[in-house]
Amino acid sequence: MKLKLFVDRLSQPCRAILIFCKMNKIEFVEVRIELSKGEQLSPEFKEINPMQKVPAMKVDERFRLFESHAILRFLAGAFPGVADHWYPADLFKRAEIDSVLDWHHANLRHGSAGLVFHSKLARLSGRPLDLRAAADCEKVLSASLAKIESVWLKEEGQFLLGNSKPSIADLSLVCETMQLEALDEKDRKRLLDPHEKVRKWMDDTRNAMQPYFGEIHGVLFQLKDKLKEMESDE
Amino acid sequence: MKLKLFVDRLSQPCRAILIFCKLNGIEFEEVTIDFCKRENLSPEYQKINPMQLVPAIEVDGEFKLFESHAILRFLACAFPGVADHWYPADLFERAQIDSVLDWHHSNLRHGTTGFVFNSTVGPLLAGLPPNLEAAAEARKVLLASLPKVESFWLKSDGHFLLGRSQPSIADLILVCEIMQLEVLDEKVRKQILDPYKKIGKWIDDTRNATQPYFDEFHAVLFRAKEKLIKIRSTGSSDETKIK
Repeated sequence: MKLKLFVDRLSQPCRAILIFCKMNKIEFVEVRIELSKGEQLSPEFKEINPMQKVPAMKVDERFRLFESHAILRFLAGAFPGVADHWYPADLFKRAEIDSVLDWHHANLRHGSAGLVFHSKLARLSGRPLDLRAAADCEKVLSASLAKIESVWLKEEGQFLLGNSKPSIADLSLVCETMQLEALDEKDRKRLLDPHEKVRKWMDDTRNAMQPYFGEIHGVLFQLKDKLKEMESDE
Repeated sequence: MKLKLFVDRLSQPCRAILIFCKLNGIEFEEVTIDFCKRENLSPEYQKINPMQLVPAIEVDGEFKLFESHAILRFLACAFPGVADHWYPADLFERAQIDSVLDWHHSNLRHGTTGFVFNSTVGPLLAGLPPNLEAAAEARKVLLASLPKVESFWLKSDGHFLLGRSQPSIADLILVCEIMQLEVLDEKVRKQILDPYKKIGKWIDDTRNATQPYFDEFHAVLFRAKEKLIKIRSTGSSDETKIK
């Protein structure tokens, strides 16, 4: 199966897929679509994903797929070398992971991505910041972090749902929380400090996915420096 | 497998699950959780679903699950009588259905629910203050989502989403969502939906494919619609002001 991934490493769901493929030794061609340059809006990329978003995937030059959770489920099912813990065959365990992935969209994703975009990243594509939208998203983010702390992380097990090994849900959610690195350090600490279990889980998941986690997140730390420069210029 | 469904028939994803179970001969006990009476906030229900939302299920008195797409995937796989077209075993077909379901959350669902709840159901049925700003934002998302359903998800061949000849769980979820627009002021609803001919036909096709259960579980929505028409005729509502 020849796999092409259309990604921007600044995008949280793109990083989740890249790390998943590396961890599971799935070979792929990485095609960079740079969001800050509007490359997702090109007519060529529209053929790949008419919603004009990343990530997207092409298999054997004929099957196209977008939406990161659909991609992760597909890859977990299509490549026989993928260990069961990523997306278990057991229906009950799988259903629980599905419920985290579904919950994620309107909660952690909406909160975190919205806050970071409206308060920081909009600048990169020359758009104005929207601090009111950012404040609304921050409320959703705080509520979501509290739910991860009290509902998704259990007393036993290092990973979501009390699992002893990571699943695609851990990967998707942790890449999302990593996006908070783009915020000012004092804001990031303010948001994460109240949640001890969340912080431990982030460390455990990061450690379980090295060295790929560090490698794929390299661009995010470069972005952090670039944002500091842009802000000090103003 | 003893199945309990915790549902409010006024909720779009709840209706999708009820219709799915009836169509597939899956036996269940329906436990009504009335959202307008805030029954989802009770301590008993919090044990079933700590997110305090509907739908939720309980299997054999112990396994609890929430999030409607997760529930539908689980039911489609756990009950052997469920026909393949609902959630195909083929990985490629299944992945495409997964992508519609995922897209739905931040698009049609966010738009429809946000608009209908903040402009209509919240203030007129649940006694909440209207949130016209949130309704306006959601309306924008709804208006951006409908063309995507019309021109991309509905292909020229096939009656159902993704050009399929038989319905999947994606059709059930998205059609139940669009049906929620029935409670809007009729003028507003027609203004939103009339431009989309393929969507109109797809709603009819899905409804026909899922009768008599489609109408059975949507009856409560139509009663709410009648109630709202009366409320609108006696007082003023801000719905038509939302731009």
